[in-house]
Amino acid sequence: MRSIDRLFEKSARSLAQRTSRRSVLAGLARLMMGAALLPLLPIDRSSRALAAASGDSTSGAAPKAPGKSAIDNPESCEYWKYCAIDGFLCSCCGGSSHSCPPGTAASPITWIGTCRNPSDGRDYIVSYNDCCGKASCGNCECNRNEREKPMYRLSRNNDVNWCMANADSNYHCSVSVILGVSEQ
Amino acid sequence: MRTDLVGAVLLCLLGCTALPAAPPLPTEHLTVEQLGPAKPHWVYAVDEAFYNEIDSRVHLFDGDSYRRLGQIDTGFNPGVNLSPDGSTTVVATTYFSRGSHGARTDVVEFIDNTTLGLTGEIVLPPKHANTLLTNFNIAYGSDSRFLYVSYVTPASSFGVLDPVKKTVLGEIDTAGCVLVIPSGPNRVSSICESGRLLTVTLDADGHEASRAMSEPFFDPDTDPIFVQGVPTADGDLFLSFLGQVHEVDLSGAQPAFRKPWSIVSAADAREHWRPGGQTVAALNRRLGRLYVPMHRGGEGTHKDGGTEIWVFDTETHERVARWPLGAHKLDPVIAIQVSQDAAPIVFAATNKSDIAVFDALDGRLRHVEKRLGQTIWFFLNP
Repeated sequence: MRSIDRLFEKSARSLAQRTSRRSVLAGLARLMMGAALLPLLPIDRSSRALAAASGDSTSGAAPKAPGKSAIDNPESCEYWKYCAIDGFLCSCCGGSSHSCPPGTAASPITWIGTCRNPSDGRDYIVSYNDCCGKASCGNCECNRNEREKPMYRLSRNNDVNWCMANADSNYHCSVSVILGVSEQ
Repeated sequence: MRTDLVGAVLLCLLGCTALPAAPPLPTEHLTVEQLGPAKPHWVYAVDEAFYNEIDSRVHLFDGDSYRRLGQIDTGFNPGVNLSPDGSTTVVATTYFSRGSHGARTDVVEFIDNTTLGLTGEIVLPPKHANTLLTNFNIAYGSDSRFLYVSYVTPASSFGVLDPVKKTVLGEIDTAGCVLVIPSGPNRVSSICESGRLLTVTLDADGHEASRAMSEPFFDPDTDPIFVQGVPTADGDLFLSFLGQVHEVDLSGAQPAFRKPWSIVSAADAREHWRPGGQTVAALNRRLGRLYVPMHRGGEGTHKDGGTEIWVFDTETHERVARWPLGAHKLDPVIAIQVSQDAAPIVFAATNKSDIAVFDALDGRLRHVEKRLGQTIWFFLNP
């Protein structure tokens, strides 16, 4: 064991002789400078913010009151128009809250919900169409179920694949389209 | 330089002397595993694969050894069930000719459960219900003469198949009523928008002989039932969003509805406890024990996972246990199943697809299998 100790001692001394203190300090300085610059770089953190905002809707935890920015953000699961949406938000997949991503096709059949817009206090009837013909988008999963009903009330159900009647019936993502103001 | 050389020689010597003097390993022969007879603690965990839905699958998992035993591929938006004798898994699913797109083929596939190999198929009209998993997307009659598949286009109907001759015998319109709840050798009930059951009786050729509509047995406006019903000794049991238990006796020519009972007391209701998830209950028929994932929440939380599992005696309607899941640092449970043997175990899938295995009698946590799949939302038992 003594010979191993001597071997490691000599290796450490050899390393110390080959490396100057200045070079170590210079390396540390480069690392610190890089860390200081990182927050200044133009990195898009919206997806992380969205994940945080949408977390409660898929985690099963008791719902928390969403912040105003989330309620107004079409890339957030808490966006007011998404009150009974179940799937991937097309606004995170190349589309918007009411348009499908390029190369997909909108489903002609749909399920219907009523969502309150907190900005004007009105209830809006919205249709939740699916966008079809490509594999699952996989981004911004959102599952909200206000007034959603099981499959026997099909027009209020978000579990079925509403691409079912499309020529290409694969499901890609979901949108929420305002149909009008609810008169009730 | 000389020092480095001496060090290298020393290291080599150390390494050389450490080598065992054992004989070489024998040659190996590549084989394919055979499963053998099913065991009561096996479970078929259905992974909807929501993030790439064209690639859903079933994981066969052993609740004793905690090993994954094999896989069944189930395509896009499948319905999955077992034959009454447990020997066959049937899958009603959709495939696209170019992977994610192209011509749609709907098909029922038959899998031998002793090999997990494909043994046959029946091509369907492109109508199989693209929806989430229940016991009633595809189901056998009690003597396996007929196999039923739920269709939604969105018009609703069901297909009657001959699983022996591998043919489609016909299609029966259900006029706004959905799913295939089998009873006896030749009856199929479907749940209607009005809260009734439509029951169609078939003749010997699998064609409609008669149909009857029941009285409403639940109110779809004020307290809808989950479609994830649970088989009982003589029919099925359905939970409502607010925790009412609707037991349906399907042993006669027409359904009979027992008086509903509640799993939520007045005190529980004040604390906003509700059932929820993707598969909302499991029943051990031998013991009469009902297992329900429960959470606290309001309207619109019916798909939220349970933070506790509550256990009920279906004879006395009493709650016999509460299993808080936070104590085990488990995420909310969204799917549940219990084995049917005398020493049963409970399988509980969290919303992260971790599978917790509990002793069904005392609630002791035996094991947590991390991330068995992507989105495990449904279980079947042998």
